Amino acid sequence: MAEPIDSALDLLRRLNPKDVKKNVDNIIELNPSLEEELLESVDIPLSVKRCSSTKRDFLCCDYNRDGDSWRSPWSNNFEPPIEEGITPSERIRKMEIKANEAFDVYRELYFEGGISSVYLWDMDDGFAGCVLLKKSVKGGSWDSIHVFDAQDRARTAHYKLTSTVILSLGTESEALGGLDLSGNMVRQIEQDMAVEDDGSHVANIGKMVEDMELKMRNLLQEVYFGKAKDVVGDLRSIPPLSQTNRDRQTQREMISSMSK
Amino acid sequence: MSRTEALSSFIESAPPGELNDVTKAIKNILGEDSVQSELEPAFQKHNEEQFSLVKLPGSNDSVIVSSYNSLGERRYYDTENNSSFAYDHASLGEEASDVRSYTLESNHEDLVKGLLKTLRSHGTEHYPEYNIGVYPTNDDSQIALLTVASKYSPANYWNGRWRSSYLYTPSSSTLTGTISVDVHYYEDGNVRLLTTKKVNAKVGGGSSADVVKAIAQAERAYQEDLNKAFGGLAEGAFKSLRRQLPITRQKIEWEKISGYRLGQDIGGGRR
Repeated sequence: MAEPIDSALDLLRRLNPKDVKKNVDNIIELNPSLEEELLESVDIPLSVKRCSSTKRDFLCCDYNRDGDSWRSPWSNNFEPPIEEGITPSERIRKMEIKANEAFDVYRELYFEGGISSVYLWDMDDGFAGCVLLKKSVKGGSWDSIHVFDAQDRARTAHYKLTSTVILSLGTESEALGGLDLSGNMVRQIEQDMAVEDDGSHVANIGKMVEDMELKMRNLLQEVYFGKAKDVVGDLRSIPPLSQTNRDRQTQREMISSMSK
Repeated sequence: MSRTEALSSFIESAPPGELNDVTKAIKNILGEDSVQSELEPAFQKHNEEQFSLVKLPGSNDSVIVSSYNSLGERRYYDTENNSSFAYDHASLGEEASDVRSYTLESNHEDLVKGLLKTLRSHGTEHYPEYNIGVYPTNDDSQIALLTVASKYSPANYWNGRWRSSYLYTPSSSTLTGTISVDVHYYEDGNVRLLTTKKVNAKVGGGSSADVVKAIAQAERAYQEDLNKAFGGLAEGAFKSLRRQLPITRQKIEWEKISGYRLGQDIGGGRR
């Protein structure tokens, strides 16, 4: 028998991805022992908070949360403020500032809007972090959640990246009725890359995230607009099936008569 | 939300062909094996809304379970086989039981027989795997016409279902109904397409062929619109969310990232 956590993840992979937050809350209510693991391993659409000292918006996830407060990447302060919230070490915070600047450029180049936030934290043999991006337009929203860790080795680092993109699209009109096409896809990659200084880390993570998002954007395009459409075509055929079958039969006969 | 409400919401939103998987997961999350009777109302709602198919014992015929052919007390009737049957929703089984002969009492008996035939030949022409049902409504003023077409490919991580249901009113020659499509794709993720389209049509004449002609037109038009909508989303919202490459058509030079000036190099090239 599978572990309850595996069944919870299996269930969430089946139920409507639009309801993931509600479904996670319900599963936790039904089996409270799953709370920690579930919140760690399930990605829900990112929420937005405003940093009161810089007046800039930032993204919230489990990784910048301390109790009911979230740390702003722009000021390093928690919103709402708390006493002695957990912040990264000086070295990691320096890198975090650089990474936020870099991904702000990335965000503008690829998303032409939206919000980005990068959070880093210290680990025994290196550091870990997440890169978050979010954009909403009329008829859709995109959330990227890239979680990684970097293990320091001699002149290189070993990076492990898990990326989730949550993409929701929808349209509603008199002619078409209601259409909702929503979901998420997850991909993982591991890579060794050269490191000279902490600046190399930011560039390495940037490259990995950029490559991953390009791959995932292509994959999402294939699944959302190729696969989903193909399945509709498998369910119902616009041309009459008797015609299609006759055509196939004729084709087969032609091929077999040619090969004789 | 109460426990039963929460569990029922899981059951009701189970994707096509995945009701058993969802139930199995629920049991394992709870660590209980005895939830099926508690969830019977949710199973019934799911089955009736999804036009689930059950097998008549001793035959290869599948028949639809829906609110339109419900006799209450877990019994349903079928106009094609002139029979009624029981279905135990909590069993999650494939088979009906207790089949009895059923005589349709309706002023539209001949029309129902005619519609069964024409709707079936329409189904055969457009749905590789499907079933239909035609039932007069309780007050005999309308006739319900159902089509359900499902394809399951769990080995390739996708399942899908097309459902259409119409009410035809002979006295006014009008047809109203809904077409719904539900597609689930879950390889390394979870993607769901859910659509609903309301249909309102005037039927050209009173024959079964006229009614099915109106259905055929509505379904064809909808499928064509749906295909266009995929293209519209791909070119519209999807593109405006994230570019494939920056406007420079080049990947970022991360070593020089601090040299990119926001609002000038980048903003200047913006359309």
